[in-house]
Amino acid sequence: MPTPEIVTQKENTMVLSMGPQHPSTHGVLQIVLEIDSENVVTAEPEIGYLHTGIEKTAEGLFWTQAQTVMERMDYLAPSSNALCYALAVEKLLGITDRIPERAQTVRVLCMELTRIASHCVWLGTHGIDLGAISVFFYCFDLRENILDLQEATGGARMHPNYVRIGGLNGDLPVGQLEKLDALIEKFPGRMRELRGLLQANPIFQDRTIDVGVLTPEAAIQWNVTGPSLRASGVAYDVRKAFPYCGYETYEFDVPTRDEGDAYARFLVRLDEMEQSMRIIEQARKRLDKPGPVMIDDPKIALPPKETIALSMEALIHHFKLISEGFRVPPGDVYQSIESPRGELGYYIVSNGENRPYRVRTRPPSLYNLQALKGIAPGNLIADLVVMIGSLDPVFGEVDR
Amino acid sequence: MALSAGPGQFMLARLDDVARWAQSSSVWPLTMGLACCAIEMMTVTSSEYDIARLGSEVFRSSPRQADLMIVSGRVAQKMGPVVKRLYDQMAEPKWVISMGACASSGGIFDNYAVIQGIDTIVPVDVYVPGCPPTPDGLLYAVNLIQQQIREGGRGGILARA
Amino acid sequence: MPSTQVPPIAGSATDPPSIRPPIDDATIERVAPAQLRARLEALKGDGYAMLLDLGAVDYLQRKPRFDVVYHLLKLRPTKAGVAEVGSPARIRVLCGVADGERLPSVMDLWRSADWAEREVFDLFGIVFDGHADLRRIQMPYDWEGHPLRKDYPMRGPARERSPRPSFANKSNVVAGTPPSGRTLEALQEEIRRAREQ
Repeated sequence: MPTPEIVTQKENTMVLSMGPQHPSTHGVLQIVLEIDSENVVTAEPEIGYLHTGIEKTAEGLFWTQAQTVMERMDYLAPSSNALCYALAVEKLLGITDRIPERAQTVRVLCMELTRIASHCVWLGTHGIDLGAISVFFYCFDLRENILDLQEATGGARMHPNYVRIGGLNGDLPVGQLEKLDALIEKFPGRMRELRGLLQANPIFQDRTIDVGVLTPEAAIQWNVTGPSLRASGVAYDVRKAFPYCGYETYEFDVPTRDEGDAYARFLVRLDEMEQSMRIIEQARKRLDKPGPVMIDDPKIALPPKETIALSMEALIHHFKLISEGFRVPPGDVYQSIESPRGELGYYIVSNGENRPYRVRTRPPSLYNLQALKGIAPGNLIADLVVMIGSLDPVFGEVDR
Repeated sequence: MALSAGPGQFMLARLDDVARWAQSSSVWPLTMGLACCAIEMMTVTSSEYDIARLGSEVFRSSPRQADLMIVSGRVAQKMGPVVKRLYDQMAEPKWVISMGACASSGGIFDNYAVIQGIDTIVPVDVYVPGCPPTPDGLLYAVNLIQQQIREGGRGGILARA
Repeated sequence: MPSTQVPPIAGSATDPPSIRPPIDDATIERVAPAQLRARLEALKGDGYAMLLDLGAVDYLQRKPRFDVVYHLLKLRPTKAGVAEVGSPARIRVLCGVADGERLPSVMDLWRSADWAEREVFDLFGIVFDGHADLRRIQMPYDWEGHPLRKDYPMRGPARERSPRPSFANKSNVVAGTPPSGRTLEALQEEIRRAREQ
């Protein structure tokens, strides 16, 4: 396969390819490095090794079917992709005000649980890149509790497909709230352990303090969002700036740091996990009251299974929705949410049919990763590993 | 292998059986984590599922040091030649697990960008269905590989392609 | 199959106004390619420091064929708390581009446009003048065709299509032959014979 000359070799430097198969690149990333002994002169990330054509596939599927492929983009936080897509399509349908309150509360719950699970994977892999292997086991053990909850809702541990257009795929299963209470109770102890493992560790601090500094100007030029932007001092959080799903009714802080280095990003993400648990506790209190979880519109929501044998209309609606799907009025919308990586946005164009015309994703990891070109030069290769870990890219999203 | 009891005695076995027993008890996978299935592959190394007790103590990053390539995730057009090259770089005997629907057959992505099954580029020993398969599924696949090694697939003292 | 029906141009008179409440997600503006660069520079000077996203849409049966969409966010590039950031203004600039027409690159205004423009070039074929390094980003470098165009087949060009996995060949479901060997012609023949009896 002919490749263009991406990086030219000057005297004294060596051109090396880091990846696409590499233990520390967090997925299929190739960085073409020009190095001078251990120092990086130029770093050109090469992406596309996981390009799946998700956006084109979604154009050939019904609106509800397209959600299944969308969920596989940011595979560490699948509920966030599903939520953003559902919110965007609900805006196009014009039913945003008719989503039941319990559905919105459970959506917030799913979103925050997913955020904690995603940050667990980030912390585990970041630690293992730096040699702190125990962190990996602690983090994945915490993640198992959350995957347990996800599995109970949707049947799948990782891509539960629980958040649907119009609400949810059914109410919370029996025993879910008890399991959630158990998680809420054990979480502060777990957070203390995770902090105790790395936060005051002198080796970790040596490797992350003053590494990969992003000034606010550079961060905004590079279109960095999410914890990486907040660690540079700009408190832009889509949950506060453009609230959705009732986030304006929850009390939570937006952790921010000023230094902009990898250690600051680490602290911001740990603080975010605690804030997420705060939101989960508030959401939990609202779930004691029962209520509907799907919009009461037979043209969009499937009828309850019991009514199909009794009512002709229910049978017809079920048949039409499964075989044809619903139609969405023409128009375009840009919907963004705060995913664990940053601002995840969908620009969806509909032309009145039962399939999306175009689903353009604004992937936070693509732009976060691009910032690597700006912050890598002048550092050691070992620092490059720290920087990739602290920017937290997910390649399903970068390459789509 | 025939075992006799008591100290100071001999144990008789065929060389091939001993080699296969050793190979099946320490299958070291190559880190070929591509997409969502890679996260489940990482979960299989965590303490809840623990693939290390089956012998896969470490996941080697270098193909020269690994026996088993677990292709976990969708293989894009750009990545196909990379997978083939890494498979070629692995030393004999080597086995391949195709983990997940995307690696086995292209999965839910029947389009221009995804290679419809890695067995169009490398020979596969065990396919694991699922999207993603649960870690138990991957553990069962590794068990099947161990069974294949012990019962006469590739492996043994004179292992050939 | 992906749809090729043409949606109305955003903000046009054929937009059905009363089917749903108006979507208030951003200010929408449409510019022609000749005024694009000037308008974006003006917006950047006006405080829109963040280029949120740069994407394209292929309206196959419309002239101009493509829409390149710029999402901008009015965020000041300084340290700011939640209250100061507030709810920044969002603007969506749509630019209708014909097939073969080139657009000016905005890489010098916002560095994040680098990969976004490469992706639009790779998947749609729209060339950006002034881009430092316009080459393919998602597809292999020697790939022919621009996949996200509406006239590009979903499964790829025939010669590039990946062969079916080998276990599909091991079963007798090969090239559309049903397992029992009863092709459509054989079935029709059988029906015809049964009717004649």
